[in-house]
Amino acid sequence: MSAAALERQLRPIYDSLDTGSNKSAIVACNKLLKKHPNNDLLKALKALALVRSQKVEESLVLCDEILAAKPTDDAILTAMMHVLRGLGRQMDMISMFEEAFKQQPGNEDLGAQTFFANVRAGHWKTAQQIATRMHKQFQEDRYLYWSVISAVLQANDPSTPPAMRELLYKLAHRLITSATTPSYTNADRFHLHLSILRHLGLHEEAHKLLDHEAGKSICSTSLACNELRRDIWHADGRWAEEGALAESKIVEKKDRNWLEFLSMLDAVYPPNMADDDAAKTECSARIEHARSVFEAVAEKDGLKDRSGPLALLELERRARKHGCSNDPERLLNLLKSYFDKFGSKACCFEDVKPFIDFDGEVLANWTSYLQSKETSLTSLTGLQQRINIHKLLRYNLTASEINVESEASRATLYAKEYIDALPLGAELPVTELQPADDLAILAGSAYVSLWKISEDVKYLHCAATLLEFALTRSRQCYLIRLMLVRIYRLLGAPSVALEHYRGLNLKQVQHDTLSHILLSRASTFSLASTGDLTFATECLETSQIYVSNSQETADFVVRAFTQEKYSQIPEFIAFEDRLDNSLQRDTIKMEHVRMRFTHEAITSDIIDLELIELKFIFDRNHHDNRDFAIIPNYQPRSQLTFNEQTALFGKTDGLGWLLTFLKLYIRALQQASDLDDVVEEKLLIGDRPKQNLDPDTKLPLHERLRKRQDDQLSELSSDELTLLKYADDLADWLECYHDHIRPHPSVVLAEAAKQTELKTGHPLKGIELALQENGGANGNGHNKKDEEPPAAKEPPEGVVQFFDSIKSRFAAAQNSSPVEALHVATLAQEAFIFLTVETQRFKPASVVKVHKLGPLVQSVKALRANAIAALKEISAALAKQADLEATADKRKDFIDSCSAVMTTEIDHDFVFGVAKRVTDSRKKVLDGVGKGIVRVCSSYL
Amino acid sequence: MCACTCLFSAHSALKSSCRNLDLWTETYGISFYLSYLSRWPDLCCVQEAPNGRMMGYILGKAEGQGNEWHGHVTALTVAPEYRRLSLARKMIDLLEFVSDEMYKGFFVDLYVRCTNNLAIDMYEGMGYSVYRRVREYYGSLGIGKGGRDEEDAFGEFKPRYHPYAHPP
Ligand SMILES: CC(C)(COP(=O)(O)OP(=O)(O)OC[C@H]1O[C@@H](n2cnc3c(N)ncnc32)[C@H](O)[C@@H]1OP(=O)(O)O)[C@@H](O)C(=O)NCCC(=O)NCCS
Repeated sequence: MSAAALERQLRPIYDSLDTGSNKSAIVACNKLLKKHPNNDLLKALKALALVRSQKVEESLVLCDEILAAKPTDDAILTAMMHVLRGLGRQMDMISMFEEAFKQQPGNEDLGAQTFFANVRAGHWKTAQQIATRMHKQFQEDRYLYWSVISAVLQANDPSTPPAMRELLYKLAHRLITSATTPSYTNADRFHLHLSILRHLGLHEEAHKLLDHEAGKSICSTSLACNELRRDIWHADGRWAEEGALAESKIVEKKDRNWLEFLSMLDAVYPPNMADDDAAKTECSARIEHARSVFEAVAEKDGLKDRSGPLALLELERRARKHGCSNDPERLLNLLKSYFDKFGSKACCFEDVKPFIDFDGEVLANWTSYLQSKETSLTSLTGLQQRINIHKLLRYNLTASEINVESEASRATLYAKEYIDALPLGAELPVTELQPADDLAILAGSAYVSLWKISEDVKYLHCAATLLEFALTRSRQCYLIRLMLVRIYRLLGAPSVALEHYRGLNLKQVQHDTLSHILLSRASTFSLASTGDLTFATECLETSQIYVSNSQETADFVVRAFTQEKYSQIPEFIAFEDRLDNSLQRDTIKMEHVRMRFTHEAITSDIIDLELIELKFIFDRNHHDNRDFAIIPNYQPRSQLTFNEQTALFGKTDGLGWLLTFLKLYIRALQQASDLDDVVEEKLLIGDRPKQNLDPDTKLPLHERLRKRQDDQLSELSSDELTLLKYADDLADWLECYHDHIRPHPSVVLAEAAKQTELKTGHPLKGIELALQENGGANGNGHNKKDEEPPAAKEPPEGVVQFFDSIKSRFAAAQNSSPVEALHVATLAQEAFIFLTVETQRFKPASVVKVHKLGPLVQSVKALRANAIAALKEISAALAKQADLEATADKRKDFIDSCSAVMTTEIDHDFVFGVAKRVTDSRKKVLDGVGKGIVRVCSSYL
Repeated sequence: MCACTCLFSAHSALKSSCRNLDLWTETYGISFYLSYLSRWPDLCCVQEAPNGRMMGYILGKAEGQGNEWHGHVTALTVAPEYRRLSLARKMIDLLEFVSDEMYKGFFVDLYVRCTNNLAIDMYEGMGYSVYRRVREYYGSLGIGKGGRDEEDAFGEFKPRYHPYAHPP
């Protein structure tokens, strides 16, 4: 058949792949392969369809065949690129392109592809060598720059030793100066050049470039280059020059970029300023000069721009810091005049917050100034001023001024003013924010603070009700929703929290930065045990963003290379890393695992799979991208923030929490699993994640899993700590039995090989070798079974007592609050799951017999029976509590507790609606968790 | 505090989307931000307070053939609490400047929803004018102030010709 004819027949295969009809693609490939059994393109397309239908083993077989043939054909390479990406095999992708390029060294495109394959894998050294080769061969400037930035990226890679870094920068410098055209022909090349010079401290050379007309012109349009220029000047001690330049921009060009103001301020107090009288006098003169400039700016800009007045404040703050202020009243006066000007702008509070940490007399003076302001709620400016005054006064409240009585009167005042001010926004469509929103937020904050002081839940009811009402007036006010999500979690009404969370309509990266407000410790509310996967699904959907990040960001790094946007490349790489290794990502994963085990049968497949994933996560270097600053906080600085106040169980979870739970789960799963490191290495299909450089991760896993650190433990609630202790005791007790019974790696591998062969008809590659290696290195491995089994030990006290004590703990928690009851109940259930995971190996009668586990099995049985009895009691108590929830009495209680916020607008019907949703939601979760516990007990009997 | 006009770095994408949960602002996907940054990083910038709070951002691009070569404002947003402080004006100024000086564009254009009266007034105040109406540029946004008709009729705003623009 002609090539054209074959191509025609391939078209439908591509179409099927494009539309996701992998099955028909496989069928079509098989048909054509009959006629062309050696066509590698067909094989590659089939491999792709197989990967996409999760038939990994079969795809691997084809993959190996194709790679062995060392393809150079573009279509095959492209198809294979997708296959190998799908399999997570970047190393293979690199060698595939390297081989191809080796065979066709004149093929520029193959050179670039090889370069990009290394870029995707972060192999900067090889990338640099390839680019250099390409530059020699194809004589294109861009390849020279590719090699330059590759050297820089290698230098910046955390795994590069410090001594090497200098050398790499020097290499980059040598390369870039060898270019035939000067770097200032292009802003990004120029930027790269400057950054190398800055790093090497070659300021002379940098100045030459910067003083050149072209260099100046680039800096005037490119913020990135200008930033570097400023850094270099500063590093050179040219503070005064930089300040003068900034001043001319501010005065002549009316530049109002705050960075210019900072340059001027830095010039007033240069870091290298001497500490003698002469220096002080000079400094005073500079202060006076800067002040006159800023005052003129302030005068000129009026209300249009607040840079001038803010620069005056910052100037005075720094003068005080350096002991150069000659007027004790000035700061206060500046603040007052700032407020007089911008007190009716919403940004006023955030603007002045950094300057007002006052106490004593100054505070009294500031407070009385604010209190003396006449504001009226009949105009928008009056309203905004009032809001700012409340925020500013509240910020500085001292601990002694905060008690139930005073907070209650503040809450009432904010709430009343909120209602009073509503008419001001009556004309606005509901899609607009209401000007009075912040008063509702203040009132909500004060009620939450009241709850915190008094532990009386009625204040949370008030907060919820008032904020719910505010939301009916200002549907887009996401700040109110954020607060409500947190409050409903505290109230044990997760479905209502979820509703508001969804109302936020989070998109894209917001899933990473904001999902914590709902999903932290969400397993407390999960009904996965009853088959209701709402929260589990939320976890999975939220995690989508990470999948698309890994796939997309690397593509854009490559694109930045082709577009020569070198300034962006390090940024993109850092960004990808931040999302890839996001703390929130893995916290969600952990919660999902916790939910999953309550829902799915605990098979060895799940155990192995989760074990490997959690181990990868454990080795990551995490970034915390969570946004807490977005949660409104108008609590006094002497108090916890709103976020801290509303964290479940008073404990904000972070890296410490995650690591502790990871250790807990990895240890249990590892004991239950037959996969040891040798086996895992052999069976792993994709590449391993990059090595973490933290020295702690170099310790043997066994040791790391046992390490308990106080700073980490402090993020756990006391009930979580109890669970931790129990799980540790349990694992310590059973470890020797697991180690004794677990089959030798060679046995596990042989079994895996057998399974693969059954599935694919091909042997598992690399296994024979592994079997030999292991047989040789560990000759007596097979004889382990001949050793005496470890003697039966009684279960430790901590394990035996656990379920009895958690029963009484549960009773106390139930009295305290629904959410605490849920917490203890779900932890008790989790403890039972640990028991199940840890003891599954001892179930088969044959195992018990061979290893003489009779006494052990008896202990386990007793433990299990006791656990189930306790869990059933807890379940029954939850059912009872649930029945009390959605009743008229309960709703009435709720409504009565909201009397403080009820008005003609927030009437009985409205509060009834809130009460109903809260109590219904509570009933559902209490009832569901209770029923789920029984299901978990019975499915693991 | 006040406005730092900084680069829109990839990292800003993490922050930006938290700040602007705003109806008028499309919250774009990672690939959207990155595709702009990988081509026109100098037409994208953020206004950031020294404490890291993001106050607003602008994303732009350069496009067009021959005499149509111009800068385009793709997205502009300022967080509600920082409005009416000239931040939008500053960012537009910067984009126009870079479009003229670095890209040598002939004009700057942009699209606004016809229902977004505030933005329309602002752009008109800055010298932009409507030159054509485009249908269905944005995804549906519910019913606009004036009912159905306005909902899917969208204005494309002006090529404001820069008399001093450089020849291509
Ligand atoms: C439109 C938006 C970007 C304006 O930002 P801003 O920083 O407040 O605008 P500026 O302070 O720079 O205002 C510039 C001029 O626009 C006009 N303007 C801006 N907001 C206005 C308002 N609410 N009412 C009347 N005029 C207004 C004024 O003429 C103002 O000049 P002035 O303050 O000297 O009178 C901001 O409101 C926003 O982010 N909105 C949501 C997103 C959006 O609509 N983007 C535009 C679509 S591409």
